[in-house]
Amino acid sequence: MSILGVPVLENRYPVTMDMWPVEHKAFNRIHRFYEHLKEGRLTTTRCKSCSHTAFPPRVICPECLGEDLEWIDLPKEGKVLVFTEQVKGVPLGFQAPLIHAWIDLGPQSPIPRLLSRIINCEAGRLKEGDEVRLVVFEVPSHPIEIKKETITAERVYYAFEPKG
Amino acid sequence: MGNRRACIIGGGMSQWGVREASLVDMTQEAGKACMEDVPGLTPKDIDGFLFASSYAGRCSFQTNTAPVMAERLGLKPTSICARVDVLCAGGSTGILLAKGLVESGMADIVMVAGGEKLYTPQKWEVFYSELASIDHDWDAPHGLGLPPPYFALTAKEHMRRYSTTKEHLAAVSVTNYNYGLNNPKGQFHKQLTMEEAMAAPLVVDPLTLYDCCPITDGAAAVIIALEDRAKDLTDRPLVYIRGGAQVSLHSVSANWPGEHLADWAHLRKAAEKAYATAKVSPQEIDVAQTHDCFTISEIIEVEELGFCKKGEGGDFVAAGEINLGGKVPINTDGGLLSCGHPFGATGIRMGMEIMRQLQGRAANQVPGATIGLTHNLSGLNVEHTIVVYGREPLP
Repeated sequence: MSILGVPVLENRYPVTMDMWPVEHKAFNRIHRFYEHLKEGRLTTTRCKSCSHTAFPPRVICPECLGEDLEWIDLPKEGKVLVFTEQVKGVPLGFQAPLIHAWIDLGPQSPIPRLLSRIINCEAGRLKEGDEVRLVVFEVPSHPIEIKKETITAERVYYAFEPKG
Repeated sequence: MGNRRACIIGGGMSQWGVREASLVDMTQEAGKACMEDVPGLTPKDIDGFLFASSYAGRCSFQTNTAPVMAERLGLKPTSICARVDVLCAGGSTGILLAKGLVESGMADIVMVAGGEKLYTPQKWEVFYSELASIDHDWDAPHGLGLPPPYFALTAKEHMRRYSTTKEHLAAVSVTNYNYGLNNPKGQFHKQLTMEEAMAAPLVVDPLTLYDCCPITDGAAAVIIALEDRAKDLTDRPLVYIRGGAQVSLHSVSANWPGEHLADWAHLRKAAEKAYATAKVSPQEIDVAQTHDCFTISEIIEVEELGFCKKGEGGDFVAAGEINLGGKVPINTDGGLLSCGHPFGATGIRMGMEIMRQLQGRAANQVPGATIGLTHNLSGLNVEHTIVVYGREPLP
């Protein structure tokens, strides 16, 4: 990739300037969240001492400061509470229609609601109350320098899509 | 705190809009306007400097901005020289911090300045950079950088629960644009009619063009001084910073603290605390500047700040209660909608307008105003900041 006017950046991917997390284990302690996503699971951490579930996942429990946390699965399906469709002025890196929804994950979920992008859905199709399900997709990979080697870190992220 | 009390004694701003100027240039313009507003003041009187800016690191590739700006303004601070980053509430945060510094004895005269240079040479960078405003790993990947979709969801929720209408939203933009007509430093000077507001192009349903504040370059500065020094420096009526609060209950959207998106529990908490510290009630507020980043924001703010009942914000604004002669004139200098919104500078502009109102020299003067309030929300509605000003110090 060539960046005009910034010759020192030629062929360099500005990782710290994109909208996706740096997911590789060399750069965070919650990398299992992303590894679980690759298995199609939406997960977070629960404290083994006080049973508090937090989202997003943590390395400490925000209730008791415990560090003995376990990974638990969140529901992969939910219902649309309210949503918007953005057709114009969609930010770089996203396509129109850019749909956002508040999703009710149900009374059993330790995390009652999530805000998510809705993909695989044409404009005008979604309705309040519609059922949606988790969908995991690839996002751009990036280089990481680890000691003398440069590796390519594969990445994924999640959204929801209409069910059926 | 003893007898040390902090007053706001002067302020000024650069021209706001799409500027052919850098952040450093605009900060000098604002600093000059501010110092000239207090004729007895010289740069060497100022012993503290706070600079509110969130995008200097991203858009100007400049961190540690406070010494840069202090040097250009001819300031040589000896008590504090620091940058404040609370996005949209950076300026108000600077004012609260300056109050603490002055009243604790750390500083006597603090300049609180703030500014943003958001228009970059390439347009894509302007919008792309906004992805940095929100919780990066959890909300930005959903494309939530620019806030219109989030506030569109909020508006839909408010409309459904409280029968708020598009006309209610338009009442806010029409009022604020018309207040902004006689603010020469603001971004827009447009006589907006209800018909135009109702017919404006769609941004994100139900928000249309005039429901959304623009992207703005600009800077502003105010002087916060110890009461005794203020008396020597100015003949104008003193305006005291009576109290305030800043509340943050969450960051990632999934942890929203209210029952639904139109229920702003964090703002209610901030209001309760701010009124308690300032020893005033919502009914005593004569004039307010609330964060009208979107029209729906102002409607919910008048509810949560206690100016009307929950759910009645739409009727409150449509009945003219935010206009001169109404219960609480709001955003009397044009607000974010008409002045624009260079994040770090906005709270400073608001503080300056309340100061002018309480000194009796505002362009759209509320007769006899003695108590005023500013309010900001930050980012994806993750923090609320309130400052209460009064002609009288705390009893």
